[in-house]
Amino acid sequence: MDKHARKGPSALRTSIRLSLQYSFLYSVLSALVFALAYWFTQYEVQDWVLDQMRSDAGTLVEIFELGGDEMLVDRVDALAEVSFQNARVYQLLNSDGAIVSGNLSSTFASPLPDYLPAQDLPLAGEIHDEVTGYWLRADDVGPYLLIQGTGDHIVLEILEALGMALVVGYLAVVILGLIVGIRIGRITERRIAAISNTLAEVSAGNLASRISTAPKARDDLSRVSTEINSMLGQIKRLLESQEQISNDIAHDMRTPLQHLRQRLEKLRDSPTIRPDDISASLDQTEEIIATFNALLRIAQIEGSDRRERFGLYDLCEIIANVTEVFEPAAEDAGIELTTKVPGEQLEVVGDGNLLTQLLSNLVENAIKHCPAGSKVLVLAESTLAGPTLRITDNGPGIAREDRERIFRRFFRGEKSRNSPGNGLGLALAKAICDLHGAEITVSENDPGTTFEISFLR
Amino acid sequence: MRVLVVEDDSETAEYICTSLKALGHVTKHASDGKQGFLDALDNDFDVIVVDRMLPGLDGMTLVRSVRGANVNTPILFLSALGGLNDRVNGLEAGADDYLVKPFAFSELSARLTALARRPPMQTEETRLQVVDLEIDLIRHTVCRSGQEIAVQPREFRLLSYLMKNAERVVTRTMLLEAVWDFHFDPNTNVVETHISRLRNKIDKPFDQPLIHTVRGAGYSLHG
Repeated sequence: MDKHARKGPSALRTSIRLSLQYSFLYSVLSALVFALAYWFTQYEVQDWVLDQMRSDAGTLVEIFELGGDEMLVDRVDALAEVSFQNARVYQLLNSDGAIVSGNLSSTFASPLPDYLPAQDLPLAGEIHDEVTGYWLRADDVGPYLLIQGTGDHIVLEILEALGMALVVGYLAVVILGLIVGIRIGRITERRIAAISNTLAEVSAGNLASRISTAPKARDDLSRVSTEINSMLGQIKRLLESQEQISNDIAHDMRTPLQHLRQRLEKLRDSPTIRPDDISASLDQTEEIIATFNALLRIAQIEGSDRRERFGLYDLCEIIANVTEVFEPAAEDAGIELTTKVPGEQLEVVGDGNLLTQLLSNLVENAIKHCPAGSKVLVLAESTLAGPTLRITDNGPGIAREDRERIFRRFFRGEKSRNSPGNGLGLALAKAICDLHGAEITVSENDPGTTFEISFLR
Repeated sequence: MRVLVVEDDSETAEYICTSLKALGHVTKHASDGKQGFLDALDNDFDVIVVDRMLPGLDGMTLVRSVRGANVNTPILFLSALGGLNDRVNGLEAGADDYLVKPFAFSELSARLTALARRPPMQTEETRLQVVDLEIDLIRHTVCRSGQEIAVQPREFRLLSYLMKNAERVVTRTMLLEAVWDFHFDPNTNVVETHISRLRNKIDKPFDQPLIHTVRGAGYSLHG
């Protein structure tokens, strides 16, 4: 249990770490945005301020032309007067270079700089506390020279507002990110704990344990959970099949081995050994090997390492070959073996040998269980879903209660208990169908039996 | 014939060599892959039997190396691996036949004989004759005592396989593989019934039977 308790906080730590990484990324981005904004604002505001001053100079030129020297000086005086905290500065010089009006106490050196730090400006009175410098501009107004300046505090105010927004946004992102991260971490932690607890239970031997999943959940963890559940189901089936094989071997190999041993013991004690006795023992050995090989083959097919060798095969060709092989045997048994195939190819992706064996087992099964005078029909057709193979007979049929069980290993119906065969033919057929993703079903033919195999396209 | 047996299990090797010697063959035994490779390079064997799991050099690598050294001696793989792809993989490596353990000696012996008999140059004969039975591999005709016998295509394949291996024993599984491409053993006596049909056509109307049943092994076509 403590192993899983340790896994929990690590999921939490992961979410916090991720949140922090994202907030760091966000702060770097914010700084970049701020630097860019600073540069653009500076540029745009300066542009706008210079435009404003040019337009003001134009207005003053019009005033001078309208009202002469007196009106111009009055207006400049007024402008200088209303300039709050010296956000704007003015200086009007006459043609001799003497100060006529304005809020600047001394003249500038020539040429006039574009920008001057606030402390270098000869200003009376207090300066707006955010002004660090002034953009300057000179214009001729009649005989006068007008020098205007505008403080750069607008830039700082815009940047201040922007900076504030960025900081608030940053804090919101970090805090929200952490809250959401921790919350998701908690939820994820709980779900991961559920998964690992289930896996631990399975490891401890409870193969039936499954991860509980919400039916409608479609997120990644639900998908993983569903996949793990289906994998656990597969493992359970495989283990059961493994167990089944061991049981089968134990139950159904013991009897022929016992017979063989009895024979050999009898031979050891008998004074004369006839070749027939030895042949019988060898036949018995052969039978045991055949059963063993068939079991192994089923296991190998179920382990399905063969798909890599899959190719395209024509069902009609396989039918032609298999029925030809069994035709004389069927005739000897008094059974009419016929085929019905379409004129065209019926291609199936698979293993040619195994498909041949599949059909061979089913035909063999029909011939074995039908009395003389019966008919066996092998039919292939193309349906919407894919190629279909049907083996139909009008023999004694399979008891309803046996239909589910005939595909099990070593299953033998009451009627065939004493006929030769190892009871593996249909189990092998089923395994081959499973490997090919085909469905095999058995139904009543009234009278007789129909085996139907549906391949998928 | 001269047989090289590369097999690490001494009991099996002894069993194969003794049984082959009893049939008048000459055998040489190599108990590991490297020795087997060196012996195979001598190139004076009619057929080589190679176990798949060998110490030193595994059977697959051994067969590939032997083929890489341009030694074309027929090779039969003997393997306890009866895996689904093992036979195909073995043949792809350059072996000519494949037999899964446990096997009957009659099966091994029949297969070795069939392998060793292969002519080194693939000279295709077009007509085969045993006593008064004659077949034409191109025109697909069968004649006995100058009398033409009508056979079905698959009966012709069965007969020509028996004719090509005349005087030798061919087993049921060899016939299943060669004539019907069945690489498994059906429980029904399909080979017997086909042989019986063939006998009805080529043996029954005549005095001397040519197709003989070899007890516990298979069939043999001879005079």
